[in-house]
This record gives sequence, structure tokens and C-alpha cells, in this order.
Amino acid sequence: MTASALLETAALLGLFVLAGGGYGSLYSAGRLWSRPALIRAGGICWALTFVLALTIAIHTPLDPGWKLLILASAVVYAVIPPLTWRYLERLHDEQEPHQ
Amino acid sequence: MYRSQKLSLRYYTAAVALFGVMIVFGLLSALYYLYPAMLYNVFDFHMSKIMHIDTLVIWLLMGFLGAVYWYLPKELGIEVEGMWLAELMFWIFCVAVAIVALVFVFVQYGSANEFSMWFINQGRKYVEAPRWAAIGIVVVMAVFAYNVIATCIKARKMTGIMWVLVLDLIPLLAVYLDAFPAVTNMSVDLYWWWWLVHMWVESTWEVLIGCVMALVLMDVMGTSRRIVETWLYIEVMLVLGAGILGLGHHYFWIGTPQYWLGIGGFFSALEPLPLLGMVVHAIYDAGTHRMKTTNQPAFFWITAEAFGNFIGAGIWGFMMTLPQINLFSHGTQWTVSHGHFAFYGAYVCGIIAVLYVAKQQTSGVDMLAGRAWKWGFGLLNFGMVGMVMGLLLAGMAQAFYGRAIGGSTLMAFTSASENAWFVSGMWARLFFGFVFAAGYVVLVYDLLTAPKRVPVTRARLEPA
Repeated sequence: MTASALLETAALLGLFVLAGGGYGSLYSAGRLWSRPALIRAGGICWALTFVLALTIAIHTPLDPGWKLLILASAVVYAVIPPLTWRYLERLHDEQEPHQ
Repeated sequence: MYRSQKLSLRYYTAAVALFGVMIVFGLLSALYYLYPAMLYNVFDFHMSKIMHIDTLVIWLLMGFLGAVYWYLPKELGIEVEGMWLAELMFWIFCVAVAIVALVFVFVQYGSANEFSMWFINQGRKYVEAPRWAAIGIVVVMAVFAYNVIATCIKARKMTGIMWVLVLDLIPLLAVYLDAFPAVTNMSVDLYWWWWLVHMWVESTWEVLIGCVMALVLMDVMGTSRRIVETWLYIEVMLVLGAGILGLGHHYFWIGTPQYWLGIGGFFSALEPLPLLGMVVHAIYDAGTHRMKTTNQPAFFWITAEAFGNFIGAGIWGFMMTLPQINLFSHGTQWTVSHGHFAFYGAYVCGIIAVLYVAKQQTSGVDMLAGRAWKWGFGLLNFGMVGMVMGLLLAGMAQAFYGRAIGGSTLMAFTSASENAWFVSGMWARLFFGFVFAAGYVVLVYDLLTAPKRVPVTRARLEPA
């Protein structure tokens, strides 16, 4: 790995997780305040996450196994926020009648 | 107030005092990078670093013990068993810490013999305390385990949180025994040493803070027991699933077999995923409970913990965890940047939240608000973000110039340490270190000042 590739790859990896976090945050904020625009912005963040994963897969000198793992992670990032949100809602709904 | 809660307040006081000592030695360590000849042969860099890191470990540990002693009687409905022993251990713990600190400051090191290992410095990174003190920590933890288990037995009551806590006590006690071996083969020594550092600090502490946060969430936000216990079980599952083998990312360059590159990289790459779930959970809780909290500082610190953990451990960790990157980044200020952020997010924010819970309950106010805590919150977070950005810049310069271009030679290391990017990063770290220190001063001031009495009904309607 060249010196420039090192910094580029590390920055892409960091941005990849950051974009995933942005998606999770915006999606959750959108659901919380019922703002479709925020949910859409979250969707754009996830698209960015996927684009970053593709960029990592195509342009970085990482081993193919890591590239596949990152692409798979990008797909998993897509489902974590809605899945967690639904689970939390269900948990709270079940709990409220007992309180 | 229960007797164990009074003990808890003593632990908190000691923890906050050591937090301050940690900051002082952190600032001193930062200065050495800019003035390497400073205090040469009087008080060298390595002693300052030892003080900085060891006080970090001890103040967080004291914070955890304080939190458990605080919540144990509330959770089980009875006074903690063996309180006299717990109180005795607290004083022994404090005296031992003071003696070790004085030895580190005034004696510093000795010859490479048994005497030095037992009475001056054990010589193992992060657990430098001499052997007698390390045995003391085992005794303190054993008494702590006895207090928890005996109280559960006497109360004839076990909650989900208590089960997790009791089971966590086993590795908490057992893994620390890893501090003792004196293996001469460095690879073998590091192999087991990482069990101590990763498994004790990054796994058993994660579960411990999970238990504490579960109790705090019920207390501060009124979250139901079922919800917090469900999340606690999920966390334990994730610690067991990804955290244990995530240990592998420490085995990359210490002489272990090559398969650790794959294992460590894979499980470390999974670590941001549950942290993303935590962020979603934090936003959900923040939204649904924001107006209901009567303890704004604790609430904001809990929220900061979820985000800090995601950024510090998730983003900063993922940047450098894959072996091909880690080959260049390990042992640089880049790692230091990740370490600072991850520890701050995972533990420091949580312990500060617990301090505010204690403050509210000891002062007897219905609503804890005010202005000073906001300054403390802002300065500590701003200071930490600034420090880790400075360290990241310095670390990337080291990896780029010293490792990737210079080939990791001594000359490359030296010239990278004089590189303008590195030096700028270290100046930024020092500046923001002072900002962080200012935040600490405000935090202590706020914790020690009697809160204003705000009617709950009015305060709840005010935005935080």
C-alpha cells in the first residue's frame, strides 16, 4: 500500500461508518418527529454509505475479503435503523399497558 | 440514604479527584511531545504517561464501584451485606493508590529485580502498579464480588440486571489475575497481557457499564425494566459474539500466527454495527423521554455516551482496524486518538451521568437543571473532540511520513516527530487539553454547588 493510498483508504473507511451513522441518526430523527424530509436525507446518507463502500471496493488496495465484508456491511447498515426502530416501538407498545 | 450509598459517595469523590490527577498528567504528557527535553532525568515522559493511564483505569474503576454500591440496595431493597469490609476496602484502596502514586513520582523505577517488581513498578504496561498493590486490587474486587453476591443471597431476589452483574464479576475478577505473570518471552507475555487489557477493560467493563447504564436509564428516564434488561441481554450477546474475538485486532503485530489478522479484522469490522443500533436507541429514548426527565445533566451525558461510543469506537476504530491499515497506524498517535475517544464515549460519559444522579438524590431536588453543567458538558466534549482531532492529525502524519514513506526506521520516526503536521497536531492536542481541563473544573464546581430548586412542572416544559 502506498502512503497516499493508506490515508485515502483510512479516510474512506471512516467516512463509510460516519455516513452509516448519519443515516441512522437522520432516519431516527425523521421517524421521531414524523418528518419525511429527514428520512429521505437519511436515505441519501445510506446511498452515500453504499457509494463509499463501492469506492473502497474499486479504488483501494484492500484485500478482496475485506472489500466484500465492507459491501456486505453497507447492506446491513441499511436494515439496522428501521429494524431497531420497529423493535423499540414494539417493545414500548407492549410495555405501556403494564405501566 | 443507605450506608452503601454513603460509601458510594466516597468512591465518587475519590474517582473525581483521580480524574483531575489524570488530566494534570495528561497535560504534562502532551507537553513532552512539544518539549522532549523537559524535566529530563527528573520526571521523564514515561512516568507521566504511566500516571495518566493508571489513574484513568483507577478512577473509572472507582466510579463503577461507586455506581454499583449506589444502586445495589435500591435494586434489591436491602442494605449491602458486609458493609464494614467494603468500607475498610475503600480506605485501603485509597491509601494504596496514594502510596503507589508517591512511589511513581518520587522513586519512579528500580533495578531489574524482584524487589522492584514487588515494591516499585511491576513493569507491565497499564498495570505498572507494584505487585503488592496489584494483589490489593484483587482483594478489593473480591470483597466487591462478595458484597454483591451476598446481598443477592440475603435479599433472595435476582433481577435480570443483577444476574448479568453477578456473572460479569467472574471474568472481572479472573481476568485481572492476568496482571501477574512475568513471562520473559515478549510475544507470549503480550498475548496474555492483551487478555487483561482487552477482556478486562473492553469486555467486562463494557458489561459492567451496561448494567450501570440500565439502572441509570430506569432512574433518570423512567425506562421500563423490561426494555433496559432486553437491551442489556443484547449487549451481552454482542460482547460475547464480536467483542471477545475482536481481541484479535491487538494480536496483529506481536508474533502471533497470521490467522489472527483475519479473525481480528473480521470481528472488529462488525463492531460499528451494534453501535449504530445504540445511536438509534438513544435518539428514540431522547425523543420519547426528553420532557419527562428531571435530571438534564445525567440525561445529556447518557446521550453523549451513545454518540461518543459510536464515533470513538465505531468511526475512529474502523478507520484503523483492518490489518493493511493497522500495519502503519498501530502505536502512533492515531491509536491514541482512537483510545481517547473510545474510552471517553464508552465510560467517562456514563460515569459523569452517574455522578449527576447521585447529586440530584443527595441534594433532594426534584429537578436538576441550571447553567454550569452545560458549560462543563460543552467544554469537556469540545475539548475531547479537539484533542482527538489533533491526535488524529499527528498520528496520520506519523503513519504517512514515518511508516509508509520512511519505512519505520528510527530516523523516519525522528523526522516524522519533527514534521510540521505532527507538531501542529500536538499543539492542537495541548490547547484542547486545556479546554478539557477547564471543563473538568466547571464539572467539579457544578457537582459541589447546591442546585437551585426549580419546580418540576415548569422545568419540564422548558427546552433543555
